[in-house]
Amino acid sequence: MATVVPVDEFTGEWYPGFKPEFLEMPYIVDPVSPFKKEDEGQFWFLDFHWPRGLTPLGVFTWGGDGYCWGTQHAAENLPLPPGRGCSCRFAGTHLYGTAVPETDPQQLAARAKRIGHNLPAFLQDYPGFWERGRDELEDWWSYFRGIDFGTRSLADLGALLHHARHYHKRGMEIHFGVMYPLLANFVGFYGQCVDFGIEPGEIGKFLQGWDTKILETDRELGKLSASARAKGLRDVFAAHEAEGIRTALAGNGGAASTWLSEFDAFLGYYGWRAEGTTDPALPSWIEDPTPPLGMIKTYLQRPEDHDFEAASRNAIEEREAAIEVARAKLTKEEQAVFDAGLESNQQANFPFWQDDHNFYMDLKIMLPLRWTCQELAKRVDADTSQDMLYLFWPELVGVAGGRPYNGELRSLVDARRQYFDHWQARRSEMPKVLGTVPETVEDPILIEIFGLNAHSLQAMQNTDAASAASVSGIAASKGTARGIARVLANADELHRISPGDILVCESTSPNWTPAFAKIAACVCDGGGTLSHAAIVGREYGIPAVTAAGVATRVISDGDEIEVNGTTGTVTILRKAADVRMADGAGVSS
Amino acid sequence: MTDSIVWIDEVEPATAVAVAGAKMGRLAELLRAEVTVPLGFAVTVAAYRRHCAESGLDERIDEVISGLPADAGMDSVEQASATIREAFEQREISTELAAEITESYEQLCVRCVDVNVPTAVRSSATGEDSAQASFAGIFDTYLGVSGSQRVLDAVRSCWGSLFTARALAYRLRNGISHHDMPIAVGVIELVHARASGVAFSVHPVTGKRDRVVIEGSWGWGEAVVQGLVTPDHAEVGKADNRLLRYDVARKTVVSAFDYAAGRVVEIDMPGRLVDRQVLDEEQVAAVTSAVTAIEEHYGYPVDVEWVVSRHRRAGDPVCIVQARPVTVTVPEEPAAAGWDPVAMAGKYAFGTSGKG
Repeated sequence: MATVVPVDEFTGEWYPGFKPEFLEMPYIVDPVSPFKKEDEGQFWFLDFHWPRGLTPLGVFTWGGDGYCWGTQHAAENLPLPPGRGCSCRFAGTHLYGTAVPETDPQQLAARAKRIGHNLPAFLQDYPGFWERGRDELEDWWSYFRGIDFGTRSLADLGALLHHARHYHKRGMEIHFGVMYPLLANFVGFYGQCVDFGIEPGEIGKFLQGWDTKILETDRELGKLSASARAKGLRDVFAAHEAEGIRTALAGNGGAASTWLSEFDAFLGYYGWRAEGTTDPALPSWIEDPTPPLGMIKTYLQRPEDHDFEAASRNAIEEREAAIEVARAKLTKEEQAVFDAGLESNQQANFPFWQDDHNFYMDLKIMLPLRWTCQELAKRVDADTSQDMLYLFWPELVGVAGGRPYNGELRSLVDARRQYFDHWQARRSEMPKVLGTVPETVEDPILIEIFGLNAHSLQAMQNTDAASAASVSGIAASKGTARGIARVLANADELHRISPGDILVCESTSPNWTPAFAKIAACVCDGGGTLSHAAIVGREYGIPAVTAAGVATRVISDGDEIEVNGTTGTVTILRKAADVRMADGAGVSS
Repeated sequence: MTDSIVWIDEVEPATAVAVAGAKMGRLAELLRAEVTVPLGFAVTVAAYRRHCAESGLDERIDEVISGLPADAGMDSVEQASATIREAFEQREISTELAAEITESYEQLCVRCVDVNVPTAVRSSATGEDSAQASFAGIFDTYLGVSGSQRVLDAVRSCWGSLFTARALAYRLRNGISHHDMPIAVGVIELVHARASGVAFSVHPVTGKRDRVVIEGSWGWGEAVVQGLVTPDHAEVGKADNRLLRYDVARKTVVSAFDYAAGRVVEIDMPGRLVDRQVLDEEQVAAVTSAVTAIEEHYGYPVDVEWVVSRHRRAGDPVCIVQARPVTVTVPEEPAAAGWDPVAMAGKYAFGTSGKG
């Protein structure tokens, strides 16, 4: 029996000054919009990727061009037989997603026929497909990097807005165009392995151990940490908050200067990434290097650096051993199917791509749009460099076209910023699901990536959850760990987590990866066996429990907890208040 | 010798099932196919018919059954069953037949180099396979029967088991006369079982034909067959005879020979055997080789009961005490050759095949 979580509270008035035509854009099946009463008939889940909420520009470009257009475009192209991609609605500033089903039998048959041709063709030439897409985006990237925004005319900036949006939208077409067939192949392999009696927890291991751009970034951060250690800079890092480290080092001269030039060289290649997915409101590490500096600061708190080489060797050894164990239990006929499926999936490797692509796409694809907005903010003498992000697209294009900013727009931006802040503060109490909630969902993407299984759907609707002493979810990465819970609403505070702490959050994405080198375990409200936390937890060899539904509500920051990634349970050992008392007054954690 | 007794190793395989019933007939066929089976003889269908005719049992049975309507309630069927089985116990076996059975039993003792060799006395029904399937396991088997008088008693009890309430009810419902499915009785050397169990040439649950599934425990096979014990479970790939898995079960009951009672009984498993692995790889391979040979001989999937004798040495075949067609199989999906991403995605990602 489906239950209905009403959407009424989130309908009606939206961003101040919003008019429906502000979100008008071409769409394929279903466009982005704020919640309407009639949406209640569908199932909506709070998407973990944007825990801060999205500004009007983010709603337009990401919600419209990315979430809706990107997924629906790819779902039509492949096509996915029973699914027409995703759509989204906004409750306040928070994005809720849904899968758009295709149910017409005639259409299903026609689509099945088309994917019958297109999926093998894609897999046959996956490296080509991916490289061509990546090269196209890297060409765009070089183009934007070659532009001196400060010297361009207002009209040029108007044109650049369109270019930057086009780049972002094209990137999302490529993103989902690669993701859907990779995922389809992987879910097929996964299902076949389960049918062969292989433990689901083992299947991810078969495809682990390949170096991604994200892992490469972490390794470089590790090298910087080792270099700071070798240069005797630990005290400088220890003595300053992340924000002040650069200034402190610059004042030190000598080895510190050498280290800073190493750091800048690192940023020059790896620094074009934000602390979040496809959100133009977030700065890159180049614009604000606090996250990598803070990460290195906490790395230096450990007695020694995370051994990336050893972790990588372990991941490969574990992969080969897992494959051998699994194969030994299969008949010769099954081995033939398994080997061919494994080869196909190692060659077109979904878990690998799921991490790797973020370097080229999700973490930087919105930066040119941001730069253009920042330059426009200067030209109109806005109060902050972020102000243009509070405009909807037609307003923004208007400003670039000479529409006066002072007066109506300036005050709207102010009101919308307050609206954004108001909803950001409400994030932790937002319902995890809205509309008509089924007992189970069948879409493997929702199950395996978002972790929306029957258990988590039920947990999310349990209003007494906050008083529970334990939570359970998917045993995503094996092992047991005890530690202090750090409940994070978003990645901003990630670099402050101390080594040995346990990360508790809605869900992680690749910008959270560097923390895995120091945390003892990870617990997520969402996320299935193929989610970022599950994959990276296994790569780093730390316990992870995903799809716990309400971990961020049940567990408080500072609680002492035990995570059992083998059984999928998380137990609260001591509440934060008791931990503080036991540790004695005056000692803050 | 009359037509009352046939020996497994002498009866003509073509007529074996007709004269000795399915169970004994198959043993004769297996022996010809060079499968190792126990020594033994059958008290034939003809001997049973003659006994029923000469002892007046036929009239008594007809009298009881004619009083039963096709839709008789279970109470009256059970009453009729008890009456008929009682009649079987009361009618002495004719002197001639008793002498023949005694003589054959003594011959079996000589052939087994034993005095009063313990035997398995098994009902061996005739009739169509489908009917036999419905009757599987409901006719009596006596394990560990030793001495000619006990053998004679066990033979009479097996005859009577053709008239259990369940068998009677089935025949009434389907309009089958008991005359159309007479019974033979096997008297077989009781192999000194170190371990026993069942084996399938096809996975009994998934229907996969690429493997042999073996289940077994210590002692005789009764506890396994009757589901009184959770047996060890092994699977072997047929293509390369590779052991795919061996799950050691916690076995708490064993069928053991009770010398005082002169029969096989179920007792608590000795502690040190409870968690111990029953079969080693060589023994698993021997069971597999017997099962695949039998499947090949018949040309269809089979299930068998096997025994590893206490006297068996590595390299010897295992003993097969029963074989029959697999009665419950799931139609096998056509095996995919290599990786078919479209079919797999359809099946597991999109639910577009299989679920219709």
